[in-house]
Amino acid sequence: MRLALRELLRRPGRFVTATIILTLVAVLVMFLGGLLDGLIRSSTDAVRAQDGDLIVYSSTAQSSFLRSRIDADTRATVGAVPGVAVSGGLGLVQLGARVPGNGPRDLAATALFGYELAPVGVPDPPGPGEVFADDVLRADGVEVGMEILLGPARSAVTVIGFVADTTYSGQGSLWASAATWREVLAANRPDEQLGDDVFQALVVRAADDADVAEVAAAIDAASAGATESLTITQAVDAIPGVEQQRSTFNQIIGVTIAIAVVVVALFFALLTVERLGLYGVLKAIGARSRTLFAGLVVQALVVTAGAVIIAGGLALLLDAAIPPGSIPLDISPRRILTSAVLLLGAAVVGCAFSLRRVLRVDPASAIGTIS
Amino acid sequence: MFLALKEMRRAKVRFGLLIVAIGMLVFLILFQQSLQNSLLRGFTGALRSQSAPVLVYSTDGQRTLQASVLTPELEGLARAADGVGVVGRIGQGTFTVTAGGSIAEASLVGYDTVGLGSPEQLDEGRLPEGPGEAVASAEDADDGFDVGDVVTIEPGGDELTVVGLVEDAQLNVGPTLFVTYDGYVAAVAARNPDAGTPLPNALGVAPADGTGPAELVASIDAQSDDLDALTRDQAADEAPGVSQVRQSFQVIFLLYALVVPFVTGLFFLIVTVQKSGALTLLRAIGAPGRRLVAALLVQVVVIVGLGLLVGIALYTPLTVISATALGIRFETTAVIGWSVVLLVLGLVSSLLAARRVLAIDPVLATTGVGLR
Repeated sequence: MRLALRELLRRPGRFVTATIILTLVAVLVMFLGGLLDGLIRSSTDAVRAQDGDLIVYSSTAQSSFLRSRIDADTRATVGAVPGVAVSGGLGLVQLGARVPGNGPRDLAATALFGYELAPVGVPDPPGPGEVFADDVLRADGVEVGMEILLGPARSAVTVIGFVADTTYSGQGSLWASAATWREVLAANRPDEQLGDDVFQALVVRAADDADVAEVAAAIDAASAGATESLTITQAVDAIPGVEQQRSTFNQIIGVTIAIAVVVVALFFALLTVERLGLYGVLKAIGARSRTLFAGLVVQALVVTAGAVIIAGGLALLLDAAIPPGSIPLDISPRRILTSAVLLLGAAVVGCAFSLRRVLRVDPASAIGTIS
Repeated sequence: MFLALKEMRRAKVRFGLLIVAIGMLVFLILFQQSLQNSLLRGFTGALRSQSAPVLVYSTDGQRTLQASVLTPELEGLARAADGVGVVGRIGQGTFTVTAGGSIAEASLVGYDTVGLGSPEQLDEGRLPEGPGEAVASAEDADDGFDVGDVVTIEPGGDELTVVGLVEDAQLNVGPTLFVTYDGYVAAVAARNPDAGTPLPNALGVAPADGTGPAELVASIDAQSDDLDALTRDQAADEAPGVSQVRQSFQVIFLLYALVVPFVTGLFFLIVTVQKSGALTLLRAIGAPGRRLVAALLVQVVVIVGLGLLVGIALYTPLTVISATALGIRFETTAVIGWSVVLLVLGLVSSLLAARRVLAIDPVLATTGVGLR
């Protein structure tokens, strides 16, 4: 093991190219993972932030706010279900916002939510015509105290504060009272307007002692199948495209990790071939195959760890360099750590390709092979 | 040459691993190229497949058909612009439908004038003749959207009979139905009884004689900052998300394409160093440097070529079975293009090894130094 580390210190040059290749592969894995995280976060944060146990949609909505409709009768039915502590209406309309100081064609993409139960990090519903804005909208020039105009009807709302991590469908969210949302919806989307007591969905908090899954089933049973009740996690996963994005990206990341395995296998197979004579001598003087192979694994782990550290830095730089609104990249320490673990695992697996060759080295071959 | 091939036969594991590595990289590049094209087709295919040469959105729509709403005032301004020939209303929304016995999400595109929002070219069947008929995206025919199938709007229960199919005409990567404008308005009312009469999401405009689409776009845009006119190709290329998808995949392709020459270059450099003794001996007994380099290049071409074959062999069945349900199809242009690029990159990457071969001094064979 010490020999392996000493070789790395004394002859780093021979490991440089392998490190560069693994760095590229690691950047790829982190970039792909960051892209997946960014895409999903920007689409789902507003749902994830809901401070409840369940979201209740109408059964034909397929978890789409815009196609869901919960009327007063259904809401009363939901409220009467044992285990339901409290429910709050939720509605959404996606509109372009005219921000003072921006050009007449330079609109900010916004998702205006009307809510009754405050999501995590969002204060209680503001007064009429007031909104809390997600802080991604700062990039569009939105400021506290500013009046912005929503949609073709130029519905005026005043930003009274910022909230974080509540984007929806890639758009900066605005959080308003139910009345403000209803007014803006009717003015700008006549085909989507809803009656005074109708919401698109309900956020439900279960009683402390209630089983959430049982409450969800009871709500759907009580509404005679008119509703579909999902936990927050289920609602996030049910947002169109989320599952498909996750599975496709994970498959691509999996194949990229497999490439890392092959790259490590190839490099250390070549190194092993080069060292067969040396291994013969080491075995002849008593070194065990296990020790020699452990040396290879240590070298692979050190090279990969170096590559992962460089790649982590590069990925963070890339994340910082990409302007907001272009590629939805979100490189988090967790993603870097996960990628590192996967790549280090790939390094160990890749080394295993050289195990057979190390085991087959005959100590007797040392005689006359080293000059 | 003979020696080059024989060496590869004798070191099957080493060369095999390189072929596998290149093959997997080629597979991923081709798969992602197809994925990108499939996503873009799925996002905006309907915009390219519809027949209006110019689409007029409201600026508020930010180039998303569903988000755009044209008030009567804006519609009047667009109709009054210079160079406008014929104008038709287009409505679009996303609906829950029952098709083939399953609940699905479908986009409806309603048009009131044939040739201005209707499918430009049908692959099967005919255009709708009334509110209860639709032309569907051909990609979804097997999921209950084939000619003769009945699609039900949920809730409400309005029925649409599919009377035609059109290829590459999806919106939002899902089933898309082209219906008459009346059919679209009826579907909106079926979905939401509280809904008012929908305003058109866009206008399809044909230029008057003597006016080109670009000229018409400028003329309509000049009417108001709230109007956003686009040619058909612009509407597809500049739809939200398209440039992000392209940029994301470009970064991915760049990184994968860099890995290929690095792996190939590293491999041949190490192999060249390892066999420098044999190469020195060959030079000493009269083998010209260029012949040794030619042998190296033959190995590179064979290895990259086999890697390409492995990658294409992995990619082809995926495009046949469409394993990701994303409508991935075999892209001949991408296969040829990437094959050429990766072969060239592979050859370029072997230049370091070739330089090393050419630098071998045959005299070293006499001292033994070059034979270590």
